[in-house]
Amino acid sequence: MDNLPSLEHILGIIQVIFIIAFSPLIVGLMRKIKAKSQKRVGFGIFQTYYDILKLFRKEEMVSDQSSWIFRITPWVNFVSAISAGFFIPVFFVHSPFGVVGDVLLVVGFFGIGRFFMMLAGLDTGSSFGGLGSSREMMISMLIEPALFMTLFVIAGFYGGTNISTIVSSAHETSFLAVPGILFALIAFFVLMMAETGKLPFDNPSTHLELTMIHEAMILEYSGRSLALIEWSNAIKQMILFTLFINIFIPWYIAEQISFIGIIFGIITFILKVTVLGSLIAFIETNVAKWRLFRISDLVAMAIASSMIGMIFFFL
Amino acid sequence: MYGIFVLFSLGAVIGLFTRGHKNNVYFTYIPAIIASFLTIVLSFLILFSEPIQVNLFNILHLFNFEILIDGVSAFFLFLIGLISFAVSIYSLSYSKKLDDKKNNSSLGLFFNIFIISMILVIISNDVFFFLIFWELMSLISFFLVIFEHENKNNVNSGLTYLVMTHFGTGVIFLSFLLLYSHTGSFSFDSFRDIGLVPQHIKDIVFVLVFVGFGTKAGIVPLHIWLPKAHPSAPSNVSALMSAVMLKIPIYGIIRYLFDFNSIDTQDYVWWGIGMMVVGSISALVGVLYALIENDIKRALAFSSIENIGIIFIGLGLSVVFASFNLMSLSIISFVAAMFHTLNHSIFKGLLFMAAGSIHYSTHTTNIDDLGGLIKKMPWTALMFLVGSIAITGLPPLNGFISEWLTFQSLISIFQIPSSIFQVVLAFTILVFALTIGLVVATFVKLFGIAFLSNGQSSKVTDATEVPRFMLVGKSILALLCVLFGILPFIGLNFIVQAFDLSYIPLNPFEPISIKNTSGDNFASLMMPAAIIIFISVFAGVFVFVRIIGGKTKTTKYGTWDCGFGSSSERTRYTATSLTEPIRRIFGVFYKPRDNIEHEFYSEENKYLKKTSSVYSITRNIFDELLYEKVTMSCLSVLDKIRRIHTGKINAYILYIMITLLALLAFTGFGING
Repeated sequence: MDNLPSLEHILGIIQVIFIIAFSPLIVGLMRKIKAKSQKRVGFGIFQTYYDILKLFRKEEMVSDQSSWIFRITPWVNFVSAISAGFFIPVFFVHSPFGVVGDVLLVVGFFGIGRFFMMLAGLDTGSSFGGLGSSREMMISMLIEPALFMTLFVIAGFYGGTNISTIVSSAHETSFLAVPGILFALIAFFVLMMAETGKLPFDNPSTHLELTMIHEAMILEYSGRSLALIEWSNAIKQMILFTLFINIFIPWYIAEQISFIGIIFGIITFILKVTVLGSLIAFIETNVAKWRLFRISDLVAMAIASSMIGMIFFFL
Repeated sequence: MYGIFVLFSLGAVIGLFTRGHKNNVYFTYIPAIIASFLTIVLSFLILFSEPIQVNLFNILHLFNFEILIDGVSAFFLFLIGLISFAVSIYSLSYSKKLDDKKNNSSLGLFFNIFIISMILVIISNDVFFFLIFWELMSLISFFLVIFEHENKNNVNSGLTYLVMTHFGTGVIFLSFLLLYSHTGSFSFDSFRDIGLVPQHIKDIVFVLVFVGFGTKAGIVPLHIWLPKAHPSAPSNVSALMSAVMLKIPIYGIIRYLFDFNSIDTQDYVWWGIGMMVVGSISALVGVLYALIENDIKRALAFSSIENIGIIFIGLGLSVVFASFNLMSLSIISFVAAMFHTLNHSIFKGLLFMAAGSIHYSTHTTNIDDLGGLIKKMPWTALMFLVGSIAITGLPPLNGFISEWLTFQSLISIFQIPSSIFQVVLAFTILVFALTIGLVVATFVKLFGIAFLSNGQSSKVTDATEVPRFMLVGKSILALLCVLFGILPFIGLNFIVQAFDLSYIPLNPFEPISIKNTSGDNFASLMMPAAIIIFISVFAGVFVFVRIIGGKTKTTKYGTWDCGFGSSSERTRYTATSLTEPIRRIFGVFYKPRDNIEHEFYSEENKYLKKTSSVYSITRNIFDELLYEKVTMSCLSVLDKIRRIHTGKINAYILYIMITLLALLAFTGFGING
């Protein structure tokens, strides 16, 4: 490794900044689409940026029963989400940081964020926080087997757990050619919905004891901390979308450093992410929240799907 | 080397003779600290030079006390030395707790002898002495378990431990005898030429070795003693037992698998599969019980079962790969198992010491009685948090590295040239992943309920931070968790060196990489760089937030209570309610029973309830379905045997006669035949 930052390093950092900067827009866009399909006007798509900016300047209220765990959780969450972003190719396959960590490190970074989040939910002593942590615990525990099985299938088919390796070999073969990947896609989609708190699992736009999971944990946050948490969720969602897009539909992603290729990569990526976001928003308007204990059925479906993918892989 | 034994014995003896003296603990534990340090030095010396082989004495050419310290022993010596070093420092303060009511010196005596016996087990090169020291280790730990024998429960768990450990010893004894009958010598050296032994004998010996050592390691369903014995012992001893003693059987199994045998044909596949299946079951069952346990030490003991399970998954995988001649993969999974062994020792020692600190300050280990300890005991809380993150396998601590390696070797099963095995082994991934998910839940619960939120019971409000030495002991291990996490090459190179594996040692600035058969890079991980990224992102974000947010005010105020006035202790989430969803999902396994009892103001009017109380219990299916039946049938058989003990002397003389005649007939036939 040479000491001077090469063009690839710069591109790698640009990709991360792209994820960070672009992520609130996707959140805004999905909210807008949801509002439109529910015959509401909705906010403008840039509203998320204004919200975050406003929250950064607001006074923060901290519970006097909480400890430093509560204070550092937003930072841990935000920083680990961004760090995970370093290992994800967005519009250019060979991120120079790809060799540093693989998809398991990304899962680990998400895990550490979630671990602190659950602790923060308990830290304030409010029963809402406990409720959120308890449910989050259950869901995160349930999706773990499906997640690892799906990763196993993907890693097996594409010959590696390094995301650059996966994406570049996915680029060469279409998923339509391998049925196993198709099942992995289904499983991954369900997992993505669960991880980002989408509708059959969780509904972040309500504050109802019966339904809330993620919102319950962050109920006590305000001001700067809340901004960090909201933004890190947006980033996490963006990373998962990017993973989904680049693993399953990596068409037109830039393989070499060329100006046209990269511009083309960016444009197609934005298109794909918009389509995926709209699709998820559309699904969300069409399903109701499931009862908490039925979630395990949905996750079981994801597990079954990834298992079928695994069997296809071995055949 | 002899210095180590002299010092430990010195600690034991001086401690005993200075009982009642004010500085008794220093006399007991300072020699132990020095001796453990010497043990670490010794293990390093052996790693970088020749193995030591000394013949101490020889009785009748049969009982040959020979010491052999090779790389394998050195690795385990390092474990013993490291953990006892930290625990001995911790004990300097911890055992003061017992000053007024207990006889400290006997604890010190047993403590020292316990460490000596473990070292002796590791270094002896002969069946006879191996078993003697094994037995010594078991008995001393039994005395340590029942050390607080005023409590009836402790005696009970001690007895369970005694029975189970002797069952294990018996099976190990049997396996060694079987080997002896084929090699004709009690020396381990003769066992190394195991090629002479026919395959089916090797198979039987494997089962016996696995069951025997497995009992001591706490594999399911032979784990029954572990969650009883470990919490009963004083916490410094629990730390030693969980962190070190459970690794001694791993040592035994490794000796048999990789030292006595050389696994190279597919005859051995089922050994590996068996170990993986048992390992997976142990991991899952262990963590499921850990999750619902509200006693912090019992939960940690169950989590030890889970970690032993993960170690066995790695070892089993290594055997499977080796039997298909996939040597590089076999090495990776072996390294994963050994790294997890090392890591588990470190973080479990740390967590048990932290649990001991909680007990020291609050006199309880039930987390529902605790809460808010992070404000009273900030350093202990930090250490416990480090231990929790490490054990849950999250980056950037050491647990992540070993679980990453284990998962990577699990993924690599697609290189096995047999689809049946692939599909079977792939199920291990599901179990492994579920286990990891449940561990996170377990430790969120343990840390969250015990340390966070507000605790109002007098136990918590009177709690203070523990004395200096206890913190030093814990912080040594906590620092190692961080060190092995961000610089994993230290641990990996150590293992590669110790077991003399044909794996190229890593450079500090080189990623750990796993290559597939065609030589392409399959996966790589470079923790130092990941940490640098993490820290620089943190710095960047901090500056960024400062710039766009400017200076903001922070106000402290009570938690939102929905306007109902002070949120009290009773509205807090308890450990049981926190795990309720998981308990319900795994209802088949836990078989929870909820009893709701109402008390009414008057029996005629059942609408006005005075109080309602809920009792929720979960059942231990292993206790109920397996052990109760085994115990019952044993008792009924023993009952029948008892009938021949009539107590009349004539009957006994008759028995002696019959036995004599039978023996005569037996030898007579033997000669004729």
